[in-house]
Amino acid sequence: MKSTKILIGLLAAGLATSLAACGGSPAPTNSGSNAAPSAQSSQMYTWISSEGDRAQWQSFVEGAQKKDPNFNLTLDGPSFQEYWTKVKTRMNAPDAPCILTTQAARAQELKDILIPLDDLAKEAGLDLAQYNEGMIKGMTVDGTVRAIPYDAEPMVLYYNKTMFKDAGLAEPTVNYTQAQFISDAKALTKGDVKGFALAPDPGYPYLPLAFANGNAPVKDGALALTDPAFVADIQWTFDLAAKEKVAVAPNPADTTDVPMQGFQAGKVAMIIDGPWFYTSIREPMKDEVGVAVIPSASGQPVGMIQGSGFGISAKCPDPKNAFANIMKITTPEVVAFVGETRGTVPSIESAIDGWAKGKPAGDVEVMKALLAQGQPLVTTPTWNQFVTQFTQYSSDGTRGNKTAAEILDTIQKSVG
Amino acid sequence: MGQISSSVTDDVMTTARKAKKPGVNERFLAFLHLAPGMSGFIIFVVIPLIASIVISLYRWPLFGDPKFIGVDNYLRLFDGRTPVFGQILFNTALFAIGYTAANLIISTGLAVWLHSLPDWAPFFRVLFFVPVVTPMVANALVWRVILDDRGMINGMLAMLGITGPSWLGESGWAMFSMILMSLWQGVGYNIVVLAAGLNNINPSVLESARIDGTSAWSRFWTITFPMLSPSLFFCTIMTVIGAFKVFTQPYMLTKGGPGDATNTLVLFLYRSGFSYDQLGFASSLAWVLFVIVMLVTALQFVGQKHWVEYDA
Repeated sequence: MKSTKILIGLLAAGLATSLAACGGSPAPTNSGSNAAPSAQSSQMYTWISSEGDRAQWQSFVEGAQKKDPNFNLTLDGPSFQEYWTKVKTRMNAPDAPCILTTQAARAQELKDILIPLDDLAKEAGLDLAQYNEGMIKGMTVDGTVRAIPYDAEPMVLYYNKTMFKDAGLAEPTVNYTQAQFISDAKALTKGDVKGFALAPDPGYPYLPLAFANGNAPVKDGALALTDPAFVADIQWTFDLAAKEKVAVAPNPADTTDVPMQGFQAGKVAMIIDGPWFYTSIREPMKDEVGVAVIPSASGQPVGMIQGSGFGISAKCPDPKNAFANIMKITTPEVVAFVGETRGTVPSIESAIDGWAKGKPAGDVEVMKALLAQGQPLVTTPTWNQFVTQFTQYSSDGTRGNKTAAEILDTIQKSVG
Repeated sequence: MGQISSSVTDDVMTTARKAKKPGVNERFLAFLHLAPGMSGFIIFVVIPLIASIVISLYRWPLFGDPKFIGVDNYLRLFDGRTPVFGQILFNTALFAIGYTAANLIISTGLAVWLHSLPDWAPFFRVLFFVPVVTPMVANALVWRVILDDRGMINGMLAMLGITGPSWLGESGWAMFSMILMSLWQGVGYNIVVLAAGLNNINPSVLESARIDGTSAWSRFWTITFPMLSPSLFFCTIMTVIGAFKVFTQPYMLTKGGPGDATNTLVLFLYRSGFSYDQLGFASSLAWVLFVIVMLVTALQFVGQKHWVEYDA
């Protein structure tokens, strides 16, 4: 009997300990105003999927070291796919790094982890207006900026120049109508070569095409998937596969790389993807590759801007020192250096020349046009649910089994 | 005689008393022997189980403070706030029934066939068992390529002039493909278990039946099946439990789509917990799954009295 009681006691103690370890959320120990820099303030938690990712983060450090040779950041983190789950549990730990990265599209989802930076910026004399307006808007949650953006990357249309030339078609530039796009895609669809490619993910290319017509999935901080104009844009994109037959209907488990693989293999003439692939997309290709704006009904360029930035953990013991380090890696000089060496489009307009070095003038013009008229991808805390469900349902749309209205209505009701 | 009997009874009683009340040293020794296994069981099974019940009563995010909400996570499943839950239960049951039935029929057929091939049986058993020991994720990725609209199967069908379906893009075919891939992965395990059961059947019984002029079909139903039924029952229990826990196949092959056609309970549980940041809701799903599996297993144990022959 006694031993039973002891066993129950041990179980209860173990359970209490494990639950306490999971759930507690101790407050930061101090504001850091007069404290010596903690080790955490120079540690950064980010996605490191490959050596290329690590090299990119390291290039920020190298850029900052040009001005301050003693500057350093310790980098740590999982792959991009795992990051969005692990960052929430990692930031619960008392020894968690102070600096973390987020995409603007995920800022809403991570709002409880990221502290507002407005007061720190004001105190440090950092002018937030120098950063791309769309990106700052994307990083703003509940009226406060949660991360300092280092890039501002509008989705672009990559096209196979050689195929356009062979077909006798005029190449798209900074003005491209949807009618012309369909006409070109049909002319380029021959045999097993398709004019365009779709992934099941909403970002590739459903949302950029909706943004090009001025329609977004989020309005006033809430999902507005059943907005008639947005529904019409999604239906138009579904029909590229279902009716126009200029694209293959994807399967739900297809990755976002599938369109690019088709493009690089010469099986697809046009795709929509991020400018972060500007250099790597050309590497395995013999054909020439061009960059154009996303087609819109009017032909006017409107970019869907995506990008990432550096924020500070809610449990950081000295946010002031962490912010000082963020400032060092987001100066115009550093983001220009990273743009030049790693190909990211800088979040500061004056630094775009760093990215433009060695690139065709036409491509730079396209990028500037999309950035000038760009809108950020603003999301909601339930964004991940929307992306997951859209990925599941979109293949029914591209096969003509369901309409965009039916699919988006189902998702809207489920996600809310 | 009576004295001897009394003496034996006394000895038995003494032994029983000794067995009932071990000494302190024996208890301590038993505790020491049990401690390593029991501590692992308590830390990795009992505490997480209890913790899971507690968490299911909270709105528990990955980051931040949990909030007690009572049984609301459970109510949310059944009061219409989770409209997809019914479809998910249906999908899981459909997969469990379809996969278990097909697995048992195929594995029994193959095991009986291999039993009649004494020379080649070991080779084929290893061949069928290879997918069981290869990682499910790798298998699923290979099958995703094979079942792609422009994949190997549709390529072969095209050579025969047949336009293949969209195996992973159409609702009906997606569930069929998931079961097909799971069968390829899982049938080898049951073949090995059933082969062991077949080896325990006395060959002279089958030989006698053969001499009596019975057909192979009649021998299977009147001799082999009853004598194999304990092994088949074990296979049924394990296969059904595994089928209700299906996760990797929909996650890798279809992402639960198209629509929710292949969305299963564990896939929904995983996403709720680790993608949608709702650990409490995910825990309540885990307990619903536990209750379903427990009830189905209990039903199987009740039903086995009608078809499992332990005395054969």
